[in-house]
Amino acid sequence: MFKDIADVRGKLGQQQYIASEEIGTVVYLAHSLCKPILAEGPAGVGKTELAKAWALSTGMPLIRLQCYEGLDESKALYEWEYAKQMLYTQLLRDTLRNVLGDVNSLAEAASRLAQEEDVFFSENFLLPRPLLTALTSDEPVVLLIDEIDRADVEFEAFLLEVLSDFQVSVPELGTIHAKHQPMVLLTSNNTRELSEALKRRCLYLHIDYPSQDAELEIVRLKVPDLKPALAQQAVAVVHQLRNMDLRKMPSISETLDWARALVALNASSIDEKTLTNTLTVLLKYETDVQKARRMMGGGDDGGRHGRYNR
Amino acid sequence: MDNRVVEFIRGLRAAGVRVSLAESVDAMHAVESLGITNKEVFRSSLRATLVKEHDDFAAFEELFPLYFGSGGPPLQSAMDDMSPEEQEMMQMALSALSGRMQQLLDWLSSGEGPSKEELEEMARRAGVEWANSPQEGRWVTRRMLQQMGFAQLEEQMQQLYEKLQEMGMSQEAIEKLMGVVEANREALAEQVAQRVGQQIAEQRANRPEDLHGSDLMHKPLQSLTEEDANQLRKEVQRLVMQMRSRAALRRKRGNKGKFDPKSTIRANLRNGGVPIELKFKKKKLKPSLVLICDVSTSMRAVAEFMLRLTYELQDQVARARSFAFNSDMQEISVTLSGRRAADAVTQVLYDIPPGSYATDLGNSLNTFSKKFMDAVDGRTTVVILGDGRNNHNSPRIDLMKDLQRRAKRLVWFNPEPQRQWGTGDSDMLEYYPVCDSVSVVRNLAQLATAVDRLLTER
Repeated sequence: MFKDIADVRGKLGQQQYIASEEIGTVVYLAHSLCKPILAEGPAGVGKTELAKAWALSTGMPLIRLQCYEGLDESKALYEWEYAKQMLYTQLLRDTLRNVLGDVNSLAEAASRLAQEEDVFFSENFLLPRPLLTALTSDEPVVLLIDEIDRADVEFEAFLLEVLSDFQVSVPELGTIHAKHQPMVLLTSNNTRELSEALKRRCLYLHIDYPSQDAELEIVRLKVPDLKPALAQQAVAVVHQLRNMDLRKMPSISETLDWARALVALNASSIDEKTLTNTLTVLLKYETDVQKARRMMGGGDDGGRHGRYNR
Repeated sequence: MDNRVVEFIRGLRAAGVRVSLAESVDAMHAVESLGITNKEVFRSSLRATLVKEHDDFAAFEELFPLYFGSGGPPLQSAMDDMSPEEQEMMQMALSALSGRMQQLLDWLSSGEGPSKEELEEMARRAGVEWANSPQEGRWVTRRMLQQMGFAQLEEQMQQLYEKLQEMGMSQEAIEKLMGVVEANREALAEQVAQRVGQQIAEQRANRPEDLHGSDLMHKPLQSLTEEDANQLRKEVQRLVMQMRSRAALRRKRGNKGKFDPKSTIRANLRNGGVPIELKFKKKKLKPSLVLICDVSTSMRAVAEFMLRLTYELQDQVARARSFAFNSDMQEISVTLSGRRAADAVTQVLYDIPPGSYATDLGNSLNTFSKKFMDAVDGRTTVVILGDGRNNHNSPRIDLMKDLQRRAKRLVWFNPEPQRQWGTGDSDMLEYYPVCDSVSVVRNLAQLATAVDRLLTER
C-alpha cells in the first residue's frame, strides 16, 4: 500500500493533510503490522481528519462509527430488520399456506415452520451497522471509531473481540470473519482513561497542537486566500491564546474557521476592532473571551493582567 | 539489537511504564519492518508500540538516549595535526602537572577518553550503586567530574598555556589545542552523564520489585514517598476502573423497570402491531453527589488523594458538584471537569493557597448554605472529605444539621483515626452525631471500602 514513511507523508499531503514524521511512522506501522491506531489528543487537532485523509490517500472507503454514551452492540454491529421480516411473512402468506397446506396438527405445523426458520434469520434480514459493514466489506476499508472515550466501558470491552481477531459472533448465523482486515483508527479526547486491554491492542499516537510553523503551513494550505502576512499574524495570536489559562483552547479547526472569517470580512490587518469582532470564532466561552480581550487590549499591562487572571 | 530493545523494555517497566509481552512483540515487529537506520523513525516506532499513555512519554524520552544513544559525543584528538616537536613539547608540559590533572589533560588532548573499566571504577567510587533517580544520577555525575579534576581544570589549562608558550610553541597551535581541549571537556562530561544514567537505569531494571499493591493499600496516606505516590496513583486508577464498571452495571440493571404497554404498542406499530420489541418503563435513578473537600494545612498531606478521589467521583456521577474549602467555600466543579486528573488537582491546590491557621469550616458552611444550597436536594448524597479540625472557629453545627436534613445522606470521610477525634482543635465529635455515616479513611483499602459503600447504598 505504502512504500515507506516518506510515501505515507507524501500521499497524506496530497489530501491536504500535513503529517508529522511521527504520524507517518505510525500509519506505516499500522499497515505493516495490521494493528489499529489509537489517536489521543486535545479536541480539534485533526484526529478525525487523519482518518479521512488516510482513506482518500489509499482509495479505501471510510466507514465511521461515532461513539456516544449508551451506544450498544445493536447500534454498532447489526440489527435484525423486523419490519422487513414482517413484510416478507405478509407477502409470502400464500407460499406459507402451500408449505403448511396439508398439515393437520399445530405441532406438525410448528415443526415444519421451524425447518424454514433459517430463511428469516439469514443475512437478507440482517441490517449491518458500521462495524459489520467494515468486516464484511468486499474491499479493505478504513474504519474510524470516533471518540471512543465517550462510549461505555462495556462497549469498549466488546470492541476488544473485534479489534484483536477481526471477527464477530452473531448467535443466529455463527461467527463472521472479516474478508479483509480493515485499517482501524480510534480517536479519544482524553475525557476518561481507556482500559489497558484496549490500549495494548493498538499503536499509540499522541497528536498535540502543532508548532507555530506547522500551523501556519496548515492555514496556508487550507485557506490559500488569506494573505501570508495576515496568516502569520493570525497564527501568532492563536498561539498566544493557547498559552493563556483558558477554559477551552482554540483548536486547529477554529484557527481555520477564523482564517476563513478574516478572508470573508476582507480584513487587511488584525487590529483591535477586527479582533474584538471575530474573537468569538476562536473562543467559545464568555469568560475566555473577556480574559482574552483584557489580555490583548491591555498592552503594557498585559503581564499584570495575565497574572491577575489566574 | 533485539537484546538491547528487551533491556530497554525492562528499563521502561522499572520506570513505572506498563509494557505487556504482546506490546514488546509488536515493538520487535515494528523494528523489523522499519529498521534502525533512521533514529527518529526507530524512536517513534518504539514509542507507538510500547508507550500507550501520554504521561509516560517523559520516562520514554529520558530512557531512550541512555539505551540507544551513542554514549555521548566523541572526543577529538588534538595531537593529529601537531608536528613531532610540538607533540614532544606537549608531553613535557603535561608531565610537569600533578598526577590526576595530567591524566585528565591527557584524555582531553589525546581524544582518547577513559576506558570503560576506568569509568566504571570512578562511578563506583562516586556511589552510583546508591543512586535511584535521574536527580541522584546528576549528583553522581558531578562527583565523578570532581574526581577527575574538572574543578581545577580552568586553572591548569592556564598553566599549560603559559608553559607551552614558554617552551616556544606557536600561538596558533596553542590556541587550537586549547579549543580542542575545551570542546573535549564538554564531550567528556556528556559521556560521563550518559554512562551514569545508563547504569542507573540498568540497576533500576534489575532491582527486584519490593513494593506490592497490597502493602501499599494499607500504608497510611501521609507517610507515602514520592515513588509510593506514583504507585498509589496507579492503584487509585485501578480502583476507579473497578468502581466505574460496577456502577455502570448497577445502572444498567436499575434501568429495567415494569413492562410499558403504551410504548410497546407505539414501538411495534411498524411491525404491524405484532409485539416484537418489548418496552419497559425506565426507573428514574438520578443519583446526585455533592463533594466537599478540605484542603487546609492539616489536610495537605492527603489533600491530593482526596481531590483525586473527588475528581474521579465527579467524573463518575453525572450530577455531581465539587467544592473545596480552606477558610471559605469555593466551587471547583469547573476546574475539575475538562482537565486530566493530575492537572486538575494541581490547579485546585494552586487556586486555593494553604495559609496556616486559616481553616474555617463554620464560615465555609455558611457560604455554602447561602450560595450553593441549590445543589442539595432530597436525592443528593453529600460527602465531606476532611479531618474536622476547625482551628477553634465556630463549628456551626446548626448549618450542618440543615444540610443533613435537606440531603438524602450526609457522609464524612475522615483521615484521622477515631482516637484523635475531639483532641486539640478537632470538632469531629460534634459533627459525628449529625452525619449519617462517618468512615475513617487512612489508607487505600479503607478508601476503597468507603467509596464502594457510598455507591452501593441507596
